[in-house]
Amino acid sequence: MTETDAPVVSMRGITKRFGGVTALEDVDLDVYPGKVLAIVGDNGAGKSTLIKILTGVYQPTAGEMMMDGKALVMASHADSIAKGIDAVYQTLALADHLTPAANMFLGSELTKSFLGYRYLDNARMKAEAERVLKERLGVVLRSMDVPTDSLSGGQRQAVAIARAVYSTDLKVLVMDEPTAALGPQETARTLKLIEAVRDQGLGVVVISHSLDDVFRMSDHVQVMRRGRRVGVVKTSESTTQEVLGMIVGASDQGGAAA
Amino acid sequence: MTSQSQSLTLRERAESYMSLIGPLAMIFAIIAVMAVVEPARYFRLSNFDIILKEAALYMPMAMAMTLVIVTRGIDLSIGSVAALTSIVMAYMVKSWGYPWWLAVSAAISFGALCGFINGMVITRLKVPDLIGTLAMDLVYRGLCLIAVKGIVLSRFPEEIVAIGRGDIPGFLPLPVVIGLVTLVAGYFIYTRTYLGRYAQAVGSNPEAAELAGVPVDSTRVRVYVLMGAMAGLAGVMLAGKLNAVQATSAPFFNLHVIAAVVVGGTSLFGGRGSMLGSLCGVLLLAMMINALVTLRIEFFWQSVASGVVIIMSVAFYTWLQRKDRDGESNWLGALGKPENIRMLRLFGVIVAVLIAIFGLGAVLPEPAAT
Repeated sequence: MTETDAPVVSMRGITKRFGGVTALEDVDLDVYPGKVLAIVGDNGAGKSTLIKILTGVYQPTAGEMMMDGKALVMASHADSIAKGIDAVYQTLALADHLTPAANMFLGSELTKSFLGYRYLDNARMKAEAERVLKERLGVVLRSMDVPTDSLSGGQRQAVAIARAVYSTDLKVLVMDEPTAALGPQETARTLKLIEAVRDQGLGVVVISHSLDDVFRMSDHVQVMRRGRRVGVVKTSESTTQEVLGMIVGASDQGGAAA
Repeated sequence: MTSQSQSLTLRERAESYMSLIGPLAMIFAIIAVMAVVEPARYFRLSNFDIILKEAALYMPMAMAMTLVIVTRGIDLSIGSVAALTSIVMAYMVKSWGYPWWLAVSAAISFGALCGFINGMVITRLKVPDLIGTLAMDLVYRGLCLIAVKGIVLSRFPEEIVAIGRGDIPGFLPLPVVIGLVTLVAGYFIYTRTYLGRYAQAVGSNPEAAELAGVPVDSTRVRVYVLMGAMAGLAGVMLAGKLNAVQATSAPFFNLHVIAAVVVGGTSLFGGRGSMLGSLCGVLLLAMMINALVTLRIEFFWQSVASGVVIIMSVAFYTWLQRKDRDGESNWLGALGKPENIRMLRLFGVIVAVLIAIFGLGAVLPEPAAT
């Protein structure tokens, strides 16, 4: 890889053991600002464990992480959010009965006070949510007053992403299977959202099973197999066949190149 | 996805008012029936006074129960809590000589304590809401019986009687004002406070709420504390209304209040509630019971009516929520399904057994009188 930019987050020699089971063995990972890194691999290849370490849910058994050249240690997911790494889960973790704005600000509501008593400022939350969705993701919802479950899959994704990009000074957005449950049209919209986030200079890490989607959205593809990094390829210089070969272990040429 | 800003469909607009349409339709149905059957006695100012005072008693509890049900909870203990708090209040003013306002404050605080205990049983001991509050209902009712045995405590200070049935000249009765104030406060809590927002989030998706940093357990405890406090207030209002308290007071508060809240469009599956709907539900039930009384139908039928109203409204809202409603219009077609035929056969067997038992009883010789 020939990058002029320095990675915003890098992981070196990450190993994770659960009791006697080794989930990850000596794995490296680099997230570059303004780039989309896709992580692919078979079930049990260690993608999820790697992502959970990146988002502070798990702590590595060995290895180190750096953010902007400084050592990065995260004790919890809340810690990772505070440091600018947040995740959007496959289930999106939205409260379906709440409005998009209420979801975006859930747990960190905006308030105003009257005679020293603080209460929710719904108007400001709605305006802010509308602004973030429009300015950062290019999304305009039909109405901000409907429950979130009446939105389409892509719009719900937008709300979940908006929550992540708003709540912190976000540097890295991790997305777990963002297109798994979506139809072709909604997938295209989600890819657009990912592009929008990328174009704002954030590093995006995407786990996906769909090589089609991976080749449409990513700048690099990191292939995992049996807890190890098989290789990293530049998406524009690779093919589906090559990546597929690396996933199933037919060819290991990518490993040396990385 | 960009600029997809078509306006809402009529259906979507109507959906947010669904919680009002149901009870309002039933209220109009009652008005229509009574206008035909018994207009002279139903549409009297004094009768509206009775209806409003009956409804007022349930308003504070309906407000809190809305929040409890929004969190996917339920509180079956409120009748016993109301009885227990009214007994505490009665002892304070009658036996220990406390001023009325201290006794009333104590009753509400004591109710809050009962609610706190309910919350602890549910969140700390992990007893499901239904079982936990049902068991606590037995505990509180037992304490009532231990405290007063079969005695009726009566004749309270006029301030307490005023809370239960006092009139403000040229205005609504005092209990109605109290009830409406609690509902307005409930509306504010539901839409403008952390408690209301978190209650909704917890009921809608507990896992997501937890992930977002919402204090799930303490939110649930708080709504039960509010519920207990409102049950305490209702205990005071009931004691004032009847000017008497006994251990078996308020036996059906729980189901009556749950009925009112559910009729008002609050979802038993959590996440969705409506304070205005609960107000309509309380008014509907009060009007229904009053109509039964006006029609001189036996008192005990109101229990039957409340149960039927609960079933009808839950079934109605469940039907509304369903996305696929095709193939339901044809009732005869449904009989063709093998599963439904089996159900019909089971029903037939049960009826046949009952008929056989009664028939046998008629045939057998009558036992000699002892």
